[in-house]
Amino acid sequence: MLEGQIINGIVSGAMYALVAIGFSLVIGVLDKLNFAHPEVFMFGGFVGLLSMSHLPMPWAFAMAFLVGGLIGVLTEFLAFRRFQTADAKITAALASMALGLVMADLVHKWWGTEPVPITPPEGWLTGRTSLLGVQVLNLQFLILGITIVLMIGLQLLLQRTGMGRQIRALAESSVSASLLGIHVRRVTQTVFFISSALAAEAGLLLALRGGAASSDIGLTFGLKALAIMAIGGLGDLRGAVIGGLLIGVLESLMYVFGFGRLVEITVWVAMIVVLTFRPGGLFGGGVHSQEQRA
Amino acid sequence: MISDHLFFAGINVLLAWSVYTVLLTGSLSFAQGAFMAIGCYGAGVLTVKFGWPLLPATLVAAAGAAVMAAILGYPALRQRGIYLILVTLGMTFCVRVVIENVKYVGAVSGFGGMVGADLNSVLIALAFVAAFLIALSYSPLQRICDAVREDDRVAASLGINVTAVRLIGFSAGAAIAAVAGALYGHYMNFVRPESFDVLLSVYVVLYVVLGGANNLWGPLLGAAVMTLLPEYFRVLADWRPTVFGLAILIMLLFRPQGLLAFRTLTTRLKKQGLES
Repeated sequence: MLEGQIINGIVSGAMYALVAIGFSLVIGVLDKLNFAHPEVFMFGGFVGLLSMSHLPMPWAFAMAFLVGGLIGVLTEFLAFRRFQTADAKITAALASMALGLVMADLVHKWWGTEPVPITPPEGWLTGRTSLLGVQVLNLQFLILGITIVLMIGLQLLLQRTGMGRQIRALAESSVSASLLGIHVRRVTQTVFFISSALAAEAGLLLALRGGAASSDIGLTFGLKALAIMAIGGLGDLRGAVIGGLLIGVLESLMYVFGFGRLVEITVWVAMIVVLTFRPGGLFGGGVHSQEQRA
Repeated sequence: MISDHLFFAGINVLLAWSVYTVLLTGSLSFAQGAFMAIGCYGAGVLTVKFGWPLLPATLVAAAGAAVMAAILGYPALRQRGIYLILVTLGMTFCVRVVIENVKYVGAVSGFGGMVGADLNSVLIALAFVAAFLIALSYSPLQRICDAVREDDRVAASLGINVTAVRLIGFSAGAAIAAVAGALYGHYMNFVRPESFDVLLSVYVVLYVVLGGANNLWGPLLGAAVMTLLPEYFRVLADWRPTVFGLAILIMLLFRPQGLLAFRTLTTRLKKQGLES
């Protein structure tokens, strides 16, 4: 029972981490909050739904990645490009929030407000494997596997490629980066593409696990990821991952110990406590957290 | 019917002004829904369970909300920028879940029995808040707020206690939101915790953005228009979030500085200086 819950928690945590990484990337590089991000995450499930009704199952992952990424680029164009100065931080957050509102409403109009069932094809996915004496749904392994692959991919991209170096340079200082000949706009678009693609992928995985694509997870699950990012430290990817796993496990433990009704606020209370005592977040390694402390 | 619409418009204007009050000191709050809930349930408990009249119950609830805001806001207000946004979002979730778990106020099934508020009471509240904001805009306090909002480091170097000013702004906003909540509850007679969703807080902030945050008429306009128009145009009511979101996007895109960028005397002078 306990082991099963912990595995559940790790799987939820992995999905939290995917969304939180997206928030973190944008904050780390642009120092701006992308409030359309939770709705892209929500939309990922619906992209999967559409794709699975026309194409074989594996295509859904590619489609979610691609469509999510493109929405990210669109978000950058609509809500961030005009608001580049540091003073316009809040304006950009509000513009992206307005965009998120529109996206959520369009999904409501198209698919209705009720969750739409989404069923993975019968086969290995719906089977179970025994692990540590617990029966675990194979789907859980798939979710963990995809998450790990995406995270390793992101890490390689950031540390080993030219584009990764440019992204890191932009995170340090956009002025110096542009003086060094980095195409700031293209790098920004890449960052938005990656961050939103990861979110959409997480949305698809969540929909598969829950068996339904739901249109109201943006403002619940999605915003929790925002809090997790703050717990890990603004703009700190490692913090986002560890924070996500911690909160995921903590939430399932709350169920085990009978605090199920308080699960929804666990992450927010944790965030307020962390920010009170360690304003830079648990790991506090992000460039911007240092700036803010100064 | 018309008085219904006017009442809700009045409540939304009160909420928009509460956001505006917080914004005066340069902080953005997504917790106005939470403070509205505190005001609503606080005043409701006093009138229903203790038999108080509406006016003192509302005032006590507002004071309680202000004190809570000061306690909860203190850690966040020392930080700048998005920390406060995060913490206020957290407050909204926490308050709702806490109310959902307190049997004394009906938990998820809701709390009822409040009576006594009508259109006149909300008009009186509006008049008081407007008078307060107008008086503020002519007082030296406004310039202190401007300084804190425009550049907190300069303000601090001028000997202004930045955290205290922010805290006062945040508490005053909370009190105004609590008044709105108390009146709302006593008009509706029955409320549920989910009435005070995070979406409500988001909407209220966006009213202010839409109307403009330069002076107190902007929030008034934004909230009144966005509440009253959907009542009379069916299409707008059906597509409300989309229309609303697009209106804000277009507004912001055509004013790249954003409606939130305060055009104070100093920035105007700076601009002239640069141009000449």
